[in-house]
Amino acid sequence: MNKRRFKIALAGNPNSGKTTIFNHLTGTRQKVGNWPGVTVEKKVGDIEKFGSLLKIIDLPGTYSLTPFSIEEIVARDFILEENPDVVIDIIDASNLERSLYLANQLRELDCKVIFALNMADLARSRGYKIDKERLSELLGVPVVFTVGNKGQGIEDLLKVAIEHAESGQDIPETRKVRYSKDIEHAISDLRLVIEEKSGPEFPYNRRWTAVKLLEDDSIIKKRLEQILGHDSRELLERAQQLRSRLAELFKEEPEIVLTDERYGFIAGIVKEVVTTSTRRRIDVSRNVDLVLTNRFLGFPIFIFFIWAMFQVTFTLGAYPMAWFEAGIAWFSSGLGAVLPAGVLRDFLLNGVIAGVGSVIVFLPNILLLFFCIALFEDTGYMARAAFLMDRIMHLIGLHGKSFIPMLMGFGCNVPAIMAARTLESRKDRILTVLITPFMSCSARLPVYIVLAGTFFAANAGTVIFMLYVTGIFVAILTGRLFRSFLLSGEDAHFVMELPPYRIPMVKSLVIHMWDRAKMFLKKMGGVILVGSVVIWVLSAYPKNIDYSVDYDARIDQARQYYTEKIASATPGKAEELSEMRAQEIKELVRSRQVEHAEKSYLGRIGRVVSPVFEPVGIDWRGSVALLTGFVAKEVVVSTMGVLYAVEGDTESDALRRALRNSGMTPAAALAMMVFVLLYIPCLAAVTAIARETGSMKWPLLSVGYTTAVAWLAAFAVYQGGQFF
Amino acid sequence: MGNIHLHERRQFESLFRQEQIDFLDQRLAVLDAFLQTEQHMSAEELQSVLKPQGYRFELNFIEETLELMCRYGFARKNLFKNGQFSYEHRHLGQHHDHMVCTKCGRIIEFEDERLEDLQMEITQGYGFHMLQHRMDIYGICDRCISERVHRIPLATAKAGERVLIRELSGGTSSRLRLMSMGLRVDDELEIITNYGKGQLVVAAGNQRYVLGRGLAQKIIVEPE
Repeated sequence: MNKRRFKIALAGNPNSGKTTIFNHLTGTRQKVGNWPGVTVEKKVGDIEKFGSLLKIIDLPGTYSLTPFSIEEIVARDFILEENPDVVIDIIDASNLERSLYLANQLRELDCKVIFALNMADLARSRGYKIDKERLSELLGVPVVFTVGNKGQGIEDLLKVAIEHAESGQDIPETRKVRYSKDIEHAISDLRLVIEEKSGPEFPYNRRWTAVKLLEDDSIIKKRLEQILGHDSRELLERAQQLRSRLAELFKEEPEIVLTDERYGFIAGIVKEVVTTSTRRRIDVSRNVDLVLTNRFLGFPIFIFFIWAMFQVTFTLGAYPMAWFEAGIAWFSSGLGAVLPAGVLRDFLLNGVIAGVGSVIVFLPNILLLFFCIALFEDTGYMARAAFLMDRIMHLIGLHGKSFIPMLMGFGCNVPAIMAARTLESRKDRILTVLITPFMSCSARLPVYIVLAGTFFAANAGTVIFMLYVTGIFVAILTGRLFRSFLLSGEDAHFVMELPPYRIPMVKSLVIHMWDRAKMFLKKMGGVILVGSVVIWVLSAYPKNIDYSVDYDARIDQARQYYTEKIASATPGKAEELSEMRAQEIKELVRSRQVEHAEKSYLGRIGRVVSPVFEPVGIDWRGSVALLTGFVAKEVVVSTMGVLYAVEGDTESDALRRALRNSGMTPAAALAMMVFVLLYIPCLAAVTAIARETGSMKWPLLSVGYTTAVAWLAAFAVYQGGQFF
Repeated sequence: MGNIHLHERRQFESLFRQEQIDFLDQRLAVLDAFLQTEQHMSAEELQSVLKPQGYRFELNFIEETLELMCRYGFARKNLFKNGQFSYEHRHLGQHHDHMVCTKCGRIIEFEDERLEDLQMEITQGYGFHMLQHRMDIYGICDRCISERVHRIPLATAKAGERVLIRELSGGTSSRLRLMSMGLRVDDELEIITNYGKGQLVVAAGNQRYVLGRGLAQKIIVEPE
């Protein structure tokens, strides 16, 4: 039997409890993606209820359907172009007047709407009583009471939605929003022109189109040009005439007049349906805000929360991280024992597992970081943090909200870049994405530890701290530079609603955290896998290398030499000799490894690029290490380990000794650290930049710019260091 | 009263003759009817006043005549809240000079012999024969000034203060955005946080908003 299918869209103001209702409706059966072309999150869930297949779409939270922001454009376009069977408007019952503004715009759109009067319990406790039947009658729209966080009324809501979708019932003509005489004249005047110009397949409601033209809606104007072609000219001219006439009449822009009149209509409705009792509860959120946004207390509290977040992420995360590492090592050695020696084993162990494993171990940290962030978001604290950081972020020409992604950047740049999508302005978003890679992520730390520990042993801590500060400093400079040349202007007047403080729901926290983690694993896992395999191939091939020395012969020779000597020596002497034998063989194996690395494709590439790195004091081995760092910055250390011919533990004294013996100077080491701090974001980060900015232009700019900055800074450090 | 109107009518007639304006008799009929009333009148209203007197003028013709009268300073055109234009006639014989408040539109009439004499003296010095004159001084009336003192940009209000929004003075899109977010004229605000050069936190009803300082500069409020 064919089941009926319905497309149901959820609309509503931000903080109206829309997401909670969506989570209740769909549970874990939701898919998170992007709306086409923009980085606004699109959540869709498919469920089966009352014998129907329901596709539930969570539209972005908006205050109106006037196209000011991407969210508003996305929400309106969905309703206009995809024609959902029914739109559920989530109305914050404790803030009825404003919610009805969006609700009325939805009604004007001529789509099928039902209202969910959400948080009715809160409204009641605030002393508002809403007459549901009267509201439904006055607006000609079905109304259902819901309490989202308790899951009340959700079943009812779906049932009414399906009934309404099937009913084919429209809003009665008498219940529609009417404007004052002059505006209605202008509307019907324009409507006549539209009717004259448009065919029967005209996709929009004609009255609504007329209203939008009077409001000078640029998107609708463009659409009309596309749909009507040449015919649109006369229509747009007429609209312009009417607009200026209305403007003269009211001494005010028509869109403001229309907004005023909509609110007038709403005020009438509110008066009819709401009874306010004098009982007024103390507003808890307001009082909490008095403390948390306080001039003196706000900032210290904020710093404490951030500190706590890092503690949880890195200290608590260290335990599961150790388990992961042990697990991977166990798996790797187990696999090594089972598989026969050869290319396949080499490929799996050194290529796939080593590469992917190095990223997977970060999963606990990432889960914890996202859990903390979800906690901040769901309680409503995030908006306050953005407010507190605002004056500092203004140094870069950004709003406080950009601080969140930058902060996350200290953990890992990839989720940080993804977090930038919460910013409203496209230019702010791109700017934030471009400066976030200068936040020194945790993957760069091992490089600092090795180099600073080797060359600045006594002051290693200070050097590393200064590197972090340098990163922030370069980020600020870059921000100012890009703000004035590339992404200037658009310092739109900033207004943001602070959501009320809420006790977070475990379900939504987990969904939130899992969404992010899934994205991290899926996208980044793929990139890292491919990248590690490429690096492995480049370093392992060509297999047959013309060694300058026949190492195998030399090894055999040494073995034979010592074996003979041992045979003829005293027992005490023999032990010493066998140790010497092992030592010499090890040396030879190392030399062979070095030569192999040098003559592998990777080594050859290193040789080619090394002239570029010469002025900054980095030799070919360092160059190769930096190149491989593009896959993931942790790889820099392991590559150095291979090239400087140390086996096993890279943090041991062996690598330090080898580095010191290689002729690297402290200035060169510092230059290399600065280079690692500033140069190309890793492959995963570049991929994230490409996805978040939606074009190849920005990641390419980022790669070019960061590399140039890194080279110049390293050059300055190295050449400056020569004078000391 | 009658004398004044007669005087005005004569001046009107001589001016119109000089300018060779057509349909003079009909226009004078409109003028007479208009001068009879001391009230603001729209063209439609004037039309219905003329009807019982046996004149059937087109609305266009009446509007045109009224516009002519405005041009020569005999009448004044006003725009009212309901979007209709109305006309009031200026008393030329009486020397009513006006102070017009640009804020509330209030008109204060005044008359000063010294000023009249001085004007006469000046025109005569130029050998100029004065038919009529008008003097409109634009500015802000005492009432608006005393109100103005209380009105401040939201950005300068202090934390803990309660204020009423009196005016949204920014560009159209930022005003629309504020309105759609639920901040409108006559709403009550409480300032939660406001210090330094950063953003403000304000509470309106059960909602709290963060506002950029630039935007807060354009929201004009009045302390309660």
